[in-house]
Amino acid sequence: MGHRREEEEEEVEEEEEEEEEEEEVEEDEDEEEDVKSNRKRKYKRSQFIDDVAEEDDDEEEEEAPRKRKHRRASEFIDDIAADASDDEEEEDEGEEDFIQDEGTDLHEEEDRQRMHRRPFLPRDDQEDVEEMEKLIQQRYSARQDYQEYDEETTDVEQQALLPSVKDPKLWMVTCKAGHEREAAVCLMQKFLDLRTQGQDLQIRSAVALDHLKGYLYVEADKEAYVKQACRGLRMIYSNKVMLVPIKEMTDVLSVESKSVELAKDSWVRVKTGIYKGDLAKVVDVDHVRQRVTIKLVPRIDLQALAAKLEGKTDEKKKAFVPPPRFVSIAEVKDMRIPVDRKRDPITGEFYDTFESHLFKDGYLIKNVSTKTVTAQNIEPSFDELQKFQKPGDEKSSDAVGLASLLANRKKGHFMKGDAVVVIEGDLKNLMGIVEKVDEDSVFVKPKYRNLKATLTFKDKQLCKFFKTGDHVKVMSGKHEGTTGMVVKVDAHILVILSDTTKEDIRVFADHVVESSEVTSGLTKLGEFELHDLVYFDQTNVGTIIRVETDGCQILKAVPERPEIITVKLRDMRKKVFDRNSRTQDHFMNEISLKDIVRVLEGPFKGKQGPVEHIIRNILFIYDRHYLENGGFICVRGRSCAALGGSRSSANVSNLATNLMKLPLGANASQNRGSFNGGLPPPAGGRHRGRRREDGLIGKTIKIRLGPFKGYRGRVVDVIDSSVRIELESQMKVVTVNRDQLRDTEEMAPSYRESPRYGAGSETPMHPSRTPMHPFMTPMRDPTATPFHDGMRTPMRDRAWNPHSPMTPLRDSGSWDDANPSTWNAGTPQYQPGTPAGRPYEAPTPGTVWTSTPTGSFSEAGTPRDSPPYGNAPSPYLPSTPGGPPMTPGAPVYLPGTPGGQPMTPGTGGLDAMSPIAGGQETESRWGLPDVVITLRRPGEDAQIAVIKEVLSDGSCKVALGQTGTGDVFTVNHSEMELVVPRKSDRIKIIHGDLRNATGKLIGIDNADGIVKMDDTLDVKIFDMSNLARMHS
Amino acid sequence: MFFHIVLERKIQLHPRHFGPHLRDKLIAKVIQEVEGTCSGRHGFVVAVTNVSDVGKGLIRDGTGFVTFPVKYDCVVFRPFRGEILESVVTMVNKMGFFAEAGPVQIFVSNHLIPDDMEFQSGDVPCYATSDGLVKIQKDSEVRLKIVGTRVDVTEIFCIGTIKDDFLGLIGDPTAGG
Repeated sequence: MGHRREEEEEEVEEEEEEEEEEEEVEEDEDEEEDVKSNRKRKYKRSQFIDDVAEEDDDEEEEEAPRKRKHRRASEFIDDIAADASDDEEEEDEGEEDFIQDEGTDLHEEEDRQRMHRRPFLPRDDQEDVEEMEKLIQQRYSARQDYQEYDEETTDVEQQALLPSVKDPKLWMVTCKAGHEREAAVCLMQKFLDLRTQGQDLQIRSAVALDHLKGYLYVEADKEAYVKQACRGLRMIYSNKVMLVPIKEMTDVLSVESKSVELAKDSWVRVKTGIYKGDLAKVVDVDHVRQRVTIKLVPRIDLQALAAKLEGKTDEKKKAFVPPPRFVSIAEVKDMRIPVDRKRDPITGEFYDTFESHLFKDGYLIKNVSTKTVTAQNIEPSFDELQKFQKPGDEKSSDAVGLASLLANRKKGHFMKGDAVVVIEGDLKNLMGIVEKVDEDSVFVKPKYRNLKATLTFKDKQLCKFFKTGDHVKVMSGKHEGTTGMVVKVDAHILVILSDTTKEDIRVFADHVVESSEVTSGLTKLGEFELHDLVYFDQTNVGTIIRVETDGCQILKAVPERPEIITVKLRDMRKKVFDRNSRTQDHFMNEISLKDIVRVLEGPFKGKQGPVEHIIRNILFIYDRHYLENGGFICVRGRSCAALGGSRSSANVSNLATNLMKLPLGANASQNRGSFNGGLPPPAGGRHRGRRREDGLIGKTIKIRLGPFKGYRGRVVDVIDSSVRIELESQMKVVTVNRDQLRDTEEMAPSYRESPRYGAGSETPMHPSRTPMHPFMTPMRDPTATPFHDGMRTPMRDRAWNPHSPMTPLRDSGSWDDANPSTWNAGTPQYQPGTPAGRPYEAPTPGTVWTSTPTGSFSEAGTPRDSPPYGNAPSPYLPSTPGGPPMTPGAPVYLPGTPGGQPMTPGTGGLDAMSPIAGGQETESRWGLPDVVITLRRPGEDAQIAVIKEVLSDGSCKVALGQTGTGDVFTVNHSEMELVVPRKSDRIKIIHGDLRNATGKLIGIDNADGIVKMDDTLDVKIFDMSNLARMHS
Repeated sequence: MFFHIVLERKIQLHPRHFGPHLRDKLIAKVIQEVEGTCSGRHGFVVAVTNVSDVGKGLIRDGTGFVTFPVKYDCVVFRPFRGEILESVVTMVNKMGFFAEAGPVQIFVSNHLIPDDMEFQSGDVPCYATSDGLVKIQKDSEVRLKIVGTRVDVTEIFCIGTIKDDFLGLIGDPTAGG
């Protein structure tokens, strides 16, 4: 190409010269024309025509008309004959033309030279300077224009250079394998010989490609020319001549990439055989014979070999590829395999040979064709290199690494600002900062006081330099994309502590750059993302715990034993969408995604975290304190306990009733709302409806028309003209047109069965459901919402409380500005110095607004014993999520809201306006001796304990253990939680007139417990929240 | 390193707090919002010592909230590279151990633990010398030097070393202290 450009430039010059001389020199017009036409032809010329061919081309076109005449005449004659005659004639003509043309060519050439020699300054000395200047400007400006144009259009020009139909064709001729070059040289010789004889071969060129065995390319206009040229040459089989399609012509001669010179000590990979993909080191290269001697870690199955030698052949084991392993000759001899010791006649080195394999120091030495190895883009990973390293051969380890590093270094990987260290030459170990990078040299400003000058180094003399503690990002290799901090620098090998996985990674200094960015490395591969649950292989499922460049590490869904495998992208089948999956925990509580669970048994006992995936009954839990497997733990749902909920089987049945009583949507939001705070509650529509139709919702109405005629039910929702009604007689919600309702609507009667306040209570929950805009919720007018009712009659629905799990709001947004009731309640709690020592918003009855129904949080209901203002996030105490402490007295203000807590029933009759009563007094009330409680103390696991004694100040003496035989503590009420009794438990009544009475729970009906009293043997019905389990 | 500096922050206050205790509320809110937070520039805010200046509040349209520019003195803690800290070991594994110095989590990789100390798994994983005299396990107190810090939005993570003179175990939970 360089040659070509030169020519073009020449032409440019010519043109300019032509222009400027146009006025003066008009005589050469013919010649110029000639030159121009010549140029045109040159553009058409295909890339691979050499100059001789080009000349031929010229003559060809000139004689074209004549030829056509010939052909026309001989149309009906047998082709070959015609061709042959053509050939002969043309040969003659060609001969003449050739001589002539050569003449013209020479002439042209001479002409060109003459033009070059022409001084651009006019010989006329009298010309004034101005004109001269003008001339110069003209000249150079014109040139610039042209050059720009030139650069822009190179692509197009390149296109124009592609061979077309008019160009000579390329023919593929078979020849003796291994003699391709020879054949090409022979053709050239023949051409030259014939020319001296005055004859001419009609071929343009002959090409032998190194990578193509047994074929030769000949360029010619016709097949016959090729055949004629090949005639008589021994190694060419000219009976089979194939035309190369025009489109493929360029591919024949284009060089794919600069072939990397196989050099001694460089790394290669084997392409074929059992060593396919294996890393090998070049020991010797024979460029002439295209052979290369490589050193490999042998994959030899000595046992099989020994068996074979003994005559026992085991054909079955053919498919088995032995793992790479160093061979010890002693071992081989032990197997009674005959080993020879040979000396290489050239190098004088000794090799051990057996079974025609050559070994040296445990490595296999192999002589292979250069074609069976690849030397390009070999980036041996650290692991591979380490494997290649023979154990106990430490001294050369550095050399191995460094060599590979340098041999495979990409161009231009140094960047301005990189810290580098010189690793070679006089200035070895000098450190510096890269200032500038050139094609092949790097300018470095040394970090040495007395050395101010910028020094120039070769790429290979430098190595990147990092200090311990630097934060870096890996740019290539297996760990590409990972960021981390340098923990150790061992020459050019860095040990990095990954930011996310907290794992050690070994990388080459060359592969990393300094970066402050924090990433987990790759997070996406194809359609799969980190932490996705995927199907792979046939039936396996697992969670992706790490993404690498070509595959993922997957934690298989095998509970109780971490099983990690690396799966290639192609083996991964599809993602599992388990967003709605549910399963049950140890206590038969329902677990859904993002619920926080604790592992109760197995090797992961004690770990806890949110459920990330559920597949069948297997959970994937993310515990951020678990450092392996990206923090993921795979356990069976049954061996976990959902946190935050009560552990009663009653819960299940209660849940079921909830399902029936509440509209489905509300229920769903109850169960899931708390953790996926981001998810808008599905009840959104209802709220909109409610605001418009406040009056209707919650009322009991009768249906006048339609299939549900005569049914009575409670209005759950009003959407435009349709009304959703929960029927009283059937456990379902139906949608009825508004005009099908009876006009007379009566308020719901206050019999207990009716859950209307349950639904009504959804309304006041509004602000907590939309925590994003808590301040906008128009909850200021309590009279408009049923929650007011609730305040007056909280007892009625308290039954809901103990059974429904609840969660404190997790953010510190519970400052709770929005809640007027809080404020109205008015009060001492707001002062930071509250005697209770509670977080300052904590004891406010109103905080209940912010508590979301549901959940599963270990600390639910545990007022944190933190200092005032304890809401400051404290990421270092992971076991205490920064939720606002729950107020024990709180939930009662929300009738029917499942946000209640079992330990707070006493506050039942409390009026919101008297928050003082809410605190200690009530709290102290429920504690009774022998009651079983759950002890929850900040920073500790929940423990079962039994109250031994109630102290006068309201705190209790409790003893750990189901039976109260453990250690004895004095704890506050706030740290205790009632254990909800199960059927046939012994219970104690903790509230009401019968407080302190004991009995047996003989049945549970929704929120009511049926109790057989001990003293009277009466069967009575109590609210479950009034019942406490006694230790047996 | 601890610093006592003056920082400024805008505090939003709900109108219901307007009254005689406004200033108290404001202080409380500053403390609530600020303590325990972390910024890359200043590190962890450990404690607010004084609210020195409360500017004029600005009523926000629509919400009625008032924004006060508040200047407060506070103690901040920021670890630096090269700093020597005393910390408590929280977790030991084969890759090294994690330690905490106040709010800062520090990881000491096994590459940065003296070579004569080896990881010993078992009930209580620890790093111990072969003679068993020095043993770093959970709750041990360790003096270490910070070699690198990474600042996230909500935390500062450090890498430390005990591979230097006078670094290493300073208190041992098993010693009865």
